[in-house]
Amino acid sequence: MKFSRRMLGLALAATAATGLALPASAQSTTQGLSSESVIETIKQDGVIRIGLSLFVPWSMRDKNGDLIGFELDVGRQLAEDMGVEVEFVPTAWDGIIPALVSGNFDVIISGMSVTAQRNLTINFTDPYAYSGLAILANKSMTEGMSLEDFNKPEITFAARRGATPAAVIAENFPNATLLLFDEDGASTQEVLNGNAHASMAAQPTPNREAGRNPETLSVPFENLYDPRGEAFGVRKGDPDAMNYFNNWIAQQWRSGWLEERHNYWFATEEWADQVAQ
Amino acid sequence: MDVSRISGVKGAPLPKPPAIQRFFDSVPVSVAIYVIVVGLIVYGSFTGAQNMGYNWQWYRIPQYLYSFTDDGFQWGEIMIGLVATLQLSVTAFALATALGLLVALLRLSGLIVGSAVAVGFLELIRNIPLLVLLYLFYYVLGPIFGFDRYTASILTLAVFHAALISEILRAGINAVPRGQWEAAKSIGMTQFQTYRYIVLPQSVRFMLPPMTGEVVHLIKSSAIVSVIAVAELTTIGRNIISDTYMSFEIWFTVAAVYMAVTLILSAGVSYLERRYSVDQ
Amino acid sequence: MQNFVKKLKWPDYLILALLVGFFGYIWYSIEGTLNYKWRWELIPGYIVGWHSGREEWFANLLLQGLAATVRISIYASILALILGTILGVARCSANLTVRMLARTYLEFLRNIPPVVVVFIFFFFLSQQLIEALDLERWARGIARQEDIGVWEFFFGEMRRFPSLVSGVIVLALFESAFVGEIVRAGIQSIPRGQREAARSIGMSRVQELRYIVLPQAMKRVVPPLANQFITLIKDSSIISLISVQELTYKTVELVASSRMIFEAWITTAAFYFLVCFTLSRVFARLEKRGKAGER
Repeated sequence: MKFSRRMLGLALAATAATGLALPASAQSTTQGLSSESVIETIKQDGVIRIGLSLFVPWSMRDKNGDLIGFELDVGRQLAEDMGVEVEFVPTAWDGIIPALVSGNFDVIISGMSVTAQRNLTINFTDPYAYSGLAILANKSMTEGMSLEDFNKPEITFAARRGATPAAVIAENFPNATLLLFDEDGASTQEVLNGNAHASMAAQPTPNREAGRNPETLSVPFENLYDPRGEAFGVRKGDPDAMNYFNNWIAQQWRSGWLEERHNYWFATEEWADQVAQ
Repeated sequence: MDVSRISGVKGAPLPKPPAIQRFFDSVPVSVAIYVIVVGLIVYGSFTGAQNMGYNWQWYRIPQYLYSFTDDGFQWGEIMIGLVATLQLSVTAFALATALGLLVALLRLSGLIVGSAVAVGFLELIRNIPLLVLLYLFYYVLGPIFGFDRYTASILTLAVFHAALISEILRAGINAVPRGQWEAAKSIGMTQFQTYRYIVLPQSVRFMLPPMTGEVVHLIKSSAIVSVIAVAELTTIGRNIISDTYMSFEIWFTVAAVYMAVTLILSAGVSYLERRYSVDQ
Repeated sequence: MQNFVKKLKWPDYLILALLVGFFGYIWYSIEGTLNYKWRWELIPGYIVGWHSGREEWFANLLLQGLAATVRISIYASILALILGTILGVARCSANLTVRMLARTYLEFLRNIPPVVVVFIFFFFLSQQLIEALDLERWARGIARQEDIGVWEFFFGEMRRFPSLVSGVIVLALFESAFVGEIVRAGIQSIPRGQREAARSIGMSRVQELRYIVLPQAMKRVVPPLANQFITLIKDSSIISLISVQELTYKTVELVASSRMIFEAWITTAAFYFLVCFTLSRVFARLEKRGKAGER
């Protein structure tokens, strides 16, 4: 008796559920995509979570322990324009893409260069910043040399093994001697010591190193090698987010705000007293 | 063990547990249930990961272990990483033993400054995490002494394990009976001669089991040097993951390789221990 | 003083000379070749700072990291103790399946490097758990409230609560293997006679465990467990690799932001040393007192 009553109850519930489900399945694909977009979650939660990894001057901690930097300005402006709170999630650099894919945060704004390999796993918006490699030279050793003079066998370049500058130097200055090191700071150290004529690094590092050691180092040329764009990283399969962020970035370029902020953080050192540089 | 046989007390035997419980307690059934449970866990995590949208790509793993190219059989990246790990571990272990011996002898020597330095070293190293020690060696002492990352890793591992090894050595030396020391003194040996001919050879027997445990420990600690990108097994694993995003497959393969190495080592050590065990 | 000097023998002088030479070389190369500018005066500001904006004292990066490490260590220890006790009891169980399962888990954790274990557990477990329990929304809800002083004391910045939970879970799972072995050794050290006596008065296995074996076993393993707690504090530095904001991670951030490489790492090493050394001294003294009272 109890058994058949239970069966009846189950049958009724099943029919009701299917009945309600039918109109839901008729929901169109476009609505489905929109509701799955990260823009929707941001609106619902009222917060945008931005993943970043500390790297001067993209993002860093000031003396108060707060986050400041170019990315922070970009992220806060973005959140203000979206009308939501902003949460920054500091993440180790080599785990930042997996963290985005797992959903730890909504977007990567961390000075991430657009590369074809990264693009296989995540999508990139249009670039919001550009950078490239510039030559950092020992002032006294390279006084009065032109760009072609650097491509001679007597000239020594220093670079880190396996990093992009090494490949770029080999390509653009094939006649010069290339010294390879295992360490990051070693190549700059060699130029400082006078053991190498020059090295290459991504701007703004050469400008800042030259600024710190004005008697020994200089950035002789404005040429940027291997120019790259930095863009927001978003999860794949989210056209709404791409559209929103692309338009936002385009607007910030048009108004000149992005360029002004970029100059402030990368070309000047006015913020240096906020951080213990 | 039958109680009645010992004390001569007779009574009704304890009731045997019901047949069904005996069935489940038997060895083959227990093992079967164990295999089923483990299988369920593996299967559950498999499908769970797939439901999260993870795309299992086990078919890509073998190329990292070995490959057949035109030149013939070649070991894959993971195996090369394993060799690098073993090389790193052996070098670090040799250095750690030498340093540990020095520290142990200093402590036992009774020298004021000597034992103070040894104790200070031990307390310092034992209370700092390995990762912080690695950063100290690489970022602080590296620029000062000009270490590259490989040297910094070996030194860190050696110093960290020297602290542990020195305690093993000291305990081993102390385990040699005092009578040996006194006998050596009575025939006129100096302390140095006593150590070299009498005490140290005998203490080896006491030190061997914990020392082999320390070798396994060091192989495990060596994984930490991947944070400064030294070429070894964990580093290669992380590099492959950052290129291919096969996190689960690679991590499990790497874990399996480490397990295989440590289990083989432990088994080999037990075999040696049993073969060379000395009757007291 | 004279007695002290008399006790020094020639190897002592040699060691002293070597030490002076060693530190002298370090000093010389820092000042001379590397041209490193010491900025020790900035370190206290990174421990406790005067916030220029909010006009109040606040705990800065290093102290935040230290507080996070202490919190994570305590919570992970409690969790590891519970898990480890279950594991230890399982290892001594009469049921072969349970014994084998526990043994598998323990061997798995003991033979794999901590770094690998941390990454595996992180990707496999904590991510899933946090999503399943929707911890992030709950924590954000709390963070948006007004008076969250008590929450912040126990859990730090509430917006980073999920990563704290990740760290605690991963660390606890890893350490539970070692706690399990300690508990197992403790249980097996209880004389068989106790357990046979318990069975002979008709106690079931559970009662025997609860009233006879566990109370004695746990009392015996307190010293090794105390040492394991100190080891856990040191192992907590590994979870900086999964971006948990504890002391090591905060130091990496500090170095990246201010380039005070030497000062920052020496200070952090000193923090860990102080905490672990003090605890080990305290435990040693407590153990001595405990033993004295045992008679």
